[in-house]
Amino acid sequence: MADPEVNLTKNYDAVIIGSGAAGGMAAHVLTSHGLQVLLLEAGKKLPIEQELRSMEWPYDNAQRGALPPNSHSLSFNEYTIRNPPYGAGFEKAKKLYSYIGDTDYVKNIVVDERENPFSGTNYAWVRARCLGGKTNIWGRLALRLSDYDFKAKDRDGYGENWPISYSDIAPYYDKVDLYLGITGVKENLPYLPDSIFQRPTKLNCAELTLKQSLQKMGRVVTQYRAGVTSDGLKHNKYRSRCYGRGACERKGGCDIHAAFDSPTGLIYPAMDTGNLTLRTNSTVREITVDSNTGKASGVHFTDSQTMKDYHVKAKVVVVAASTLESARLLLLSKSHLYPNGIGNSSGHVGHNFCEHVMGPGVAGRAKDLVGKPPTLDDGRPGGFYLTRFRNLAEKHPKFIRGYGFEGGSGSTMFPRGADVHGFGASFKEEVRRNQGAYIGMGAFGEVLSRYENYVDLDPVVKDKWGVPALRFHYKFGENEHRMAEDMKETAQEMFEAAGFEIMHVSDRVLTEGWSIHELGTARMGNDPKISVLNQFEQSHDVKNLFVVDGSAFVNASCQNPTWTIMSLCWRSCDYLADELKKGNL
Amino acid sequence: MSANDPIDLKQDRRQWLKTSATVLGASLIPLPPATAEIAQADARRGKIAAQMGEAKVAGRFFTPAQHIMVEELSETIIPADSHSGGAKAAKVADYIDQVLRESADGSQRSLWLEGLRLIDVMSQHSHGKNFVDSSSEERIALLTVLSDHDHLTELPEVRFFKELKHLTVTGYYTSKIGIHDELEYKGNRVLQEYVGCDDQGPASK
Repeated sequence: MADPEVNLTKNYDAVIIGSGAAGGMAAHVLTSHGLQVLLLEAGKKLPIEQELRSMEWPYDNAQRGALPPNSHSLSFNEYTIRNPPYGAGFEKAKKLYSYIGDTDYVKNIVVDERENPFSGTNYAWVRARCLGGKTNIWGRLALRLSDYDFKAKDRDGYGENWPISYSDIAPYYDKVDLYLGITGVKENLPYLPDSIFQRPTKLNCAELTLKQSLQKMGRVVTQYRAGVTSDGLKHNKYRSRCYGRGACERKGGCDIHAAFDSPTGLIYPAMDTGNLTLRTNSTVREITVDSNTGKASGVHFTDSQTMKDYHVKAKVVVVAASTLESARLLLLSKSHLYPNGIGNSSGHVGHNFCEHVMGPGVAGRAKDLVGKPPTLDDGRPGGFYLTRFRNLAEKHPKFIRGYGFEGGSGSTMFPRGADVHGFGASFKEEVRRNQGAYIGMGAFGEVLSRYENYVDLDPVVKDKWGVPALRFHYKFGENEHRMAEDMKETAQEMFEAAGFEIMHVSDRVLTEGWSIHELGTARMGNDPKISVLNQFEQSHDVKNLFVVDGSAFVNASCQNPTWTIMSLCWRSCDYLADELKKGNL
Repeated sequence: MSANDPIDLKQDRRQWLKTSATVLGASLIPLPPATAEIAQADARRGKIAAQMGEAKVAGRFFTPAQHIMVEELSETIIPADSHSGGAKAAKVADYIDQVLRESADGSQRSLWLEGLRLIDVMSQHSHGKNFVDSSSEERIALLTVLSDHDHLTELPEVRFFKELKHLTVTGYYTSKIGIHDELEYKGNRVLQEYVGCDDQGPASK
């Protein structure tokens, strides 16, 4: 049933599709400009605190925190041996989730793979159809990009430059820092600009050992730059400051909302302006076009529960459905004027798809911490970030671009060393004595943007709502594999330099998609022939159409995208509001 | 987790013993005639069942005899010591029963039933008695054979050992005893300040 409060006869100033980081930010910025905004979310509004239950002890949970019976989440092995659409071979599982949906706390946040199929090449596609999307469970690492990324082509000749420079986006990074809160320590690195940080968390002893030993190699370990408010936000009544409860390391979200999530950080405050109307359970299937003007006229959507179809009009359409879903929606929106999909005269929608490659990493033990009394190490939103060091001053002979490592150390609720060999009294004692001594890190590297890595619409496969599914044509290339080899080698070399006892070195490249950082399917650019959007994430073809999520990225950088998505979106929405007032849209 | 391929329950036991004896060393020989061995094992099972007033208990995966055996096996994996209780005190066997009852698939369940049986077969060969009747040194000696050969995953008893260890470890370290008594976990509570490393000096530069 339609929410009776949602007026679908009104011509909204803007309709936003998607309520994650980008959609939430668009709602915040546009409503603050006084625009009348309708926000459509395909999923439902979950009672999120009841889902996350971040302080529940495992022994108080029916399955010790694991998925309930008859549910299954895909493993690396299954992604490798099965082919999309995933489902065959899992007939006994009533619910089938992506790899991230493997706990009782995340299961209702991620989609059922069978209701949301896709085809083509293997892909660990993590989707969260609910209010706030993936921001409910994101990893919280909030990094800026720099001109090493925006002007990467100038440095190595590959790909395209962004149509913006760091100086264009820097004021918006500042706004996002101040509005949402971020913890970290200033490092003055040209390739990883500092944010306006709140009080940082501290490194623990093994992390400090790593930092100090890498200083000699000219490499930087810094506190995890977390999109978390450690000092609190006076302007936001929905979020608490972080008070280090632990166990933040557990996969899931922050139910005191110290970690940013789109509903409490952006959407609820936007609703308080009186300018935002929210409708959940609204699966947008098409952006409609006024055939006289060629402009977008609104959207068609299906109520996700009743399956009834609706149309709503808007002066501006803002697409923020996530990189791949946004591309899908543009491709779905075919008309006489736009036979290849709206905004796609370049043919680049769905192409230049890029992300981060991950998997290689290292785990070890700091021998001087073995047998020390237990410490609390996971009462904080993250451990450390080891910043990029490849292809900065020098050129690596085997690959272009770079990678960084995310890592952490110390005691966790479930001991890191419980997979060591053996059993019995010595095993038990070893796990206990070593529990605080573990340190590990894994790499995130830039996957090059390539035209030939793309998604299109499957001619046959449809989702539960009858909407054509995406078909993937996407594989990591030679540059990624060479980079992955280097990740493994440097990970080992750095742990050896720090004097850690190495327990495990991995060179396994995880399935495409694993980083949940898919980007680039409607890239920005100055040339409408090879890009979809201009520097304000505005369609080159359709002036009142904006795509404000990760699909606008020109390359992936190696730094996590969420903070950049929101900063770009803020900049674009300022421009949108201005243009609308001037009558230019 | 359990291996993906189902166990071949029809595998000839005598052949199994030969294979195992070859790869696991001398611990499983001498080899009795197959029929006699099977009859012995079946007789033992019948005897245990009769002793326990047996058959299935409603709402449980394991029979009472199997439950006792899983308790002893899990306690051998994580024993009580002067620091804290072990798997038995943490009721790991109840946890394993629940997993097998509610979440396991057919091949995982078969592996457990076959594994328990094979443990007793091994125990009879090595020590002339069932696992639960053997001394703690004998129990450790038996599981050491499997642990030392845990790469031989073509053997069902090795796959069973890995599964036993995995579920014991998961059950134990998610229990009250495992988290609070054994590891003395300090988190999941409100802190004034995250302490970090003592040597670090001021938190911010």
